[in-house]
Amino acid sequence: MGSKIKSEHLYWLGRYTERVLISVRLLMDMYDQMIDGDPIDYQGFCTRMGIDNIYTDAADFCRRYLFDADDPDSIYCAMRFAYDNAIVLREVLTSEGLSYIQLALTAIEHAAESSSPLVELQVVIDNINAFRGSCYEHIDESSRNIIRCGSSVERIDIMIRTRYHLNRLSDEVSMLLNRLYKTRLEPDQECLNSLVDAVLDSRKPEASDEQLLVWVENLFPL
Amino acid sequence: MDSLIRHTDQINQQLARYGVKFGIYKNGVFNERLFPFDAIPRIIPADQFDYLERGLKQRVTALNLFLKDIYTGGKIVRDGVVPADFVYASSGYLSACEGIVPPRGIFSHISGIDLVQAEDDWYILEDNLRIPSGASYPLIARDLCRRASPITFQTNRVVDNRNYAEMLRGVMDNVNCGGINVVFTPGRYNAAYFEHSYLAERTDSVLAESRDLYVENDVLWYQGLEQTYRVGALYRRVSDEFLDPVAFRPDSLIGIPNLMAAYRAGNVAIINTPGNGVADDKGIYYFVPKMIRYYLGEEPILHNAPTYLPFYEEDRKYVLDNLEKLVIKDVAEAGGYGVVFGRDLTKEKLAQFAETIKNEPRRFIAQEIINFLDLPVMEKGEQVMRKADLRAFVLSGEEVQVWPSGLTRFSRDPTSFVVNSSQGGGFKDTWVLK
Repeated sequence: MGSKIKSEHLYWLGRYTERVLISVRLLMDMYDQMIDGDPIDYQGFCTRMGIDNIYTDAADFCRRYLFDADDPDSIYCAMRFAYDNAIVLREVLTSEGLSYIQLALTAIEHAAESSSPLVELQVVIDNINAFRGSCYEHIDESSRNIIRCGSSVERIDIMIRTRYHLNRLSDEVSMLLNRLYKTRLEPDQECLNSLVDAVLDSRKPEASDEQLLVWVENLFPL
Repeated sequence: MDSLIRHTDQINQQLARYGVKFGIYKNGVFNERLFPFDAIPRIIPADQFDYLERGLKQRVTALNLFLKDIYTGGKIVRDGVVPADFVYASSGYLSACEGIVPPRGIFSHISGIDLVQAEDDWYILEDNLRIPSGASYPLIARDLCRRASPITFQTNRVVDNRNYAEMLRGVMDNVNCGGINVVFTPGRYNAAYFEHSYLAERTDSVLAESRDLYVENDVLWYQGLEQTYRVGALYRRVSDEFLDPVAFRPDSLIGIPNLMAAYRAGNVAIINTPGNGVADDKGIYYFVPKMIRYYLGEEPILHNAPTYLPFYEEDRKYVLDNLEKLVIKDVAEAGGYGVVFGRDLTKEKLAQFAETIKNEPRRFIAQEIINFLDLPVMEKGEQVMRKADLRAFVLSGEEVQVWPSGLTRFSRDPTSFVVNSSQGGGFKDTWVLK
């Protein structure tokens, strides 16, 4: 029996878990690049992601962007925010479903202490994916689709910002529409129509990244 | 049993996985802590539980009758059994509840009665009739213990305690005035938030905060995403004073405006009813045996710890003469706070404390120190003995039932009698044998 407040928590749970997943993958790619001594453009990454560049160098970025509990833009904080949204949804997610979010949070805390954090981060990814799987088992369709709408919005946002799998943007927008119709969420219709036209209708003029991001960020006035 | 104890770490890991935590504020900062679990259970043989069960049912029945009496005229006060001072001056007494008889006449639906076991007998230490918490911990722990060591439960005849949610659901349904059951929480930064959310899940109730609920035309509604739902029973985990800013503290941001109007109109059951604090005041505790005799015409089956009220001159003299061997409790405090052992005070402090008692005799009770039994606890692979109490849960629905389990809390400090989780204590499962 959902409420507006629970819908907001479900939506942001979807967004934050997706943010963790994609950011970890992006970070893993950057780490890999560093192994061969290649420079990484972390300043550019910060600009594209819209986060403050508070980092002193690439190594500082890799460590703090991953694990700094005092940096609200860090992946650790995104995981923490996912947990904060999940913990108030126990009776919706079930204790079983919620436990995967708890495990993911514990895993990222362990990863921060580990001498091989990338290996440990795989456990974070595994648990978030297990959570998603558990959603099919335990959660009603409407709640599940609200989480998935959150995931889609976050993925679209990061695709536009970082060009990550940008070729799949139209698929992702279609997926968002499909999920949205299965919920009672009330999107900002103007933003939704503009986004859909710009991404899915080849007859309409292309929109700038900045314009696309404005529509994405204002899709749900939550 | 060895098999179960060997799996202690794994059980604690599972408890962490399921978020079995309690919140604590220290220096204004909220922290979540795991509640340390010790796998060696407290074991209560069947005949002993039978004795406890009879005594607890008797006590809670009398307490419910007391609450009904106090809010509908106070015959027990007029008859001189309980002094008016201990009722109407109590901070737990709410004049807003005068004249209200809740659905089915039940005031304390969930009663948490704290007991300790001494060499000779069990003693009641405290009645908790407002929002007693703690049942969820042994409830989930039993499930995990059974998973960790099935053989332990195959070879011991332990009563299954996993019916608590069903019992609680029965209590809610029994008084439901038409509508859904809601667990009303102040929010995730409450110390017992795990319990609120877990019990909502297990009883198939809706977990709601004040933002989700409103009163219109004396009816309580839950604002769902798709529609609104009438609320028939509200298992509230919000303290009386914050429950309704119109009736109580106007600065409460976690209450539901006009909830008391809906309650007074008989449109919603509040579990437990507001105003129960008058019956679990540490001062009123002294009078519970008298209540049992007064309302039920029976001798109390379970005994209070020997208690003195400085309010009475004779008791005050005894307390002041024997301060160093008594434990003094501030009636306004809870959670293990405001408890002073006379033996721990210097001469100077004792004299100061004696003055405070003389000046504010109503504020304190004094009790003989009961040397309650230690229970075995595993600590760093060694078995050590620690002080432990038992919170028994008595549920008043269609009938009064004692949950065949309870929360056994133990002190982790070998020198301490204080077992509260907020003071660093741990917990155990409580087995009742068949």
